[in-house]
Amino acid sequence: MTWLSRRWQVVLMLAPALLVYSVYLIYPVIYSVFYSFSDYNGVAKPKYVGGANYRTMWHDTVFWSSLRNTMVILGIAVLVIVPLAFMIAVLLSSDIKGAGVLRALIFAPAIVAPILIGLIWVFILDPHVGLINGFLASLGFTGPQWIGGTSLTPLSVAMVYIWQTVGFVLTIFYAGLRMLPRDVMEASELDGATKWQQLRYVTVPMMQETFGICTVLVITGVFKIFELVYVLTGGGPIHLSDVLVSYMYYVTFQLQNYGYGMSLAVVICGLGAVVSLGYLVLRQRGQRT
Amino acid sequence: MSARLTSASEGELRDALSTTAPRATVRSNRRGLRIATVVAYLITFVVLLPLLWILLLSFRSSNDILVHPFSASNLTTANYRTVIHTLDLLLMYKNTFILATVSVVLGLIISFMAAFALTRMVFRKRRRRLQRILRYYFLAGLAVPVYILLFPVYRLDLTFHLFGTYWALILPYIATTIPFNILLLTGFLADFPDEIEQAAIVDGVGLFTLCTKIVFPLMRPVAATLLVLNIIYVWNEFPFAVTLINKPSLTTVSLGASQFQGQWSTDYGAEMAAAVLVLLPQLAVFGLFQRQVIEGMTLGAVKG
Repeated sequence: MTWLSRRWQVVLMLAPALLVYSVYLIYPVIYSVFYSFSDYNGVAKPKYVGGANYRTMWHDTVFWSSLRNTMVILGIAVLVIVPLAFMIAVLLSSDIKGAGVLRALIFAPAIVAPILIGLIWVFILDPHVGLINGFLASLGFTGPQWIGGTSLTPLSVAMVYIWQTVGFVLTIFYAGLRMLPRDVMEASELDGATKWQQLRYVTVPMMQETFGICTVLVITGVFKIFELVYVLTGGGPIHLSDVLVSYMYYVTFQLQNYGYGMSLAVVICGLGAVVSLGYLVLRQRGQRT
Repeated sequence: MSARLTSASEGELRDALSTTAPRATVRSNRRGLRIATVVAYLITFVVLLPLLWILLLSFRSSNDILVHPFSASNLTTANYRTVIHTLDLLLMYKNTFILATVSVVLGLIISFMAAFALTRMVFRKRRRRLQRILRYYFLAGLAVPVYILLFPVYRLDLTFHLFGTYWALILPYIATTIPFNILLLTGFLADFPDEIEQAAIVDGVGLFTLCTKIVFPLMRPVAATLLVLNIIYVWNEFPFAVTLINKPSLTTVSLGASQFQGQWSTDYGAEMAAAVLVLLPQLAVFGLFQRQVIEGMTLGAVKG
């Protein structure tokens, strides 16, 4: 290889990727952190204000309500998607006819644009024309205000996120299930374990790592939710249904309060990283004891 | 013991995901299997219900939807005619197609070049560390979420006078896909023996021919995975599109779809017809390449 590694050749091979990546990814991150310490509205020169934006955030009730909404979605999503996807994966790895087709159909929402998913679900969740309340009404009940009210929106967003993600997570479990060593599974069957015992004492413990991957995926996914809220409620009423990212977007591009917007972005990034890392550390400690 | 999903080779993972010759992990008796089948079909039906519902709505008039939400009589194709007359679907598709093709192909080429330099080329002595550090520098981008980039990239595009051109989006799309491209490509190259390349070099092959004729063809499976992942990403991308597109003539599929609500605020039938028209081609393509897409996205998630 040494013959083909003259300095200009190495530089030539690295330069394009290095340039685009540094200018359009690394520089923007530094820029965001930098401007999060400033007061900047895009017109006047940015003014250094120290930690003022972060202090504002501490007293900003909308920040806290969007943090709470994000956490509610996170909790529901992890508690529902991971077990549900695992169970469907187990179900679909049995001898059901057409299991492959079913798997592809359940996976389908994962490739639909999030913006379109939001649009579709407006017609499921809308209190007046939506499918759910229409169904409840035909049974004689009055359905609640799934979206647009003051309390249920995070729950509805979680529901949509589950619909979007479950098929994707289940294929990861499916791959994990199929990579289990066959002899162990057969041995447990010979020892007379029931299906349930096999699942509880053999399959689940052997798939610890897969559970970890799936949980982290679901968590990082929740911190990226933006389009769903954007279409379902636009954050309304009065930002009560905003999640962190949609609130950051509003502050930055609608209010044009760029300094504060960037400090929100920095905090969201940090939170996402901390929650994922925290989960991984907890899990490792749990395995050791 | 664990299932070792992350350390599994790509081939193993591909096999595990393949739909043919299923290995039964639950060997059920007849009755259990029958219950499992019913439950599985029921779940699939529930997942598909929202899609079927908008399909039904798209064939009904808005008045009818408001008065009898559940009726399936009085179906009409009027909504589709309205949409086709007022919405420039072809333009949306053209824009998205150009963006996806250019950014994904260019992104793959330059990622491949960098990955090759980082794994195969010899850096002068004592520069070995630089080679490793550069790789980590690229991989650091995996931890960066897109939304922190929105405003800075908006400023960059303003500075470079890129607004109103495809490049306003192509450059950030390339930048955000580089880290994962490099992760998969360097991983593959590091595991792959370089004897063929050595032989080719002895035969006097130049750098360009070596890359295009010998190394790249070997990497076709990884390249295909990345192609699928990146195209889906760019096709569905919304945050950059809504921030960086300021001309109606550059509207992408996602951006166009976000405007359906305003466009037909009370015409629910038309809104759903538009959604169906955007959704159907996407689902059709997924149906055709279903195996590659599922494999690609799962591999991507596990390796990331």
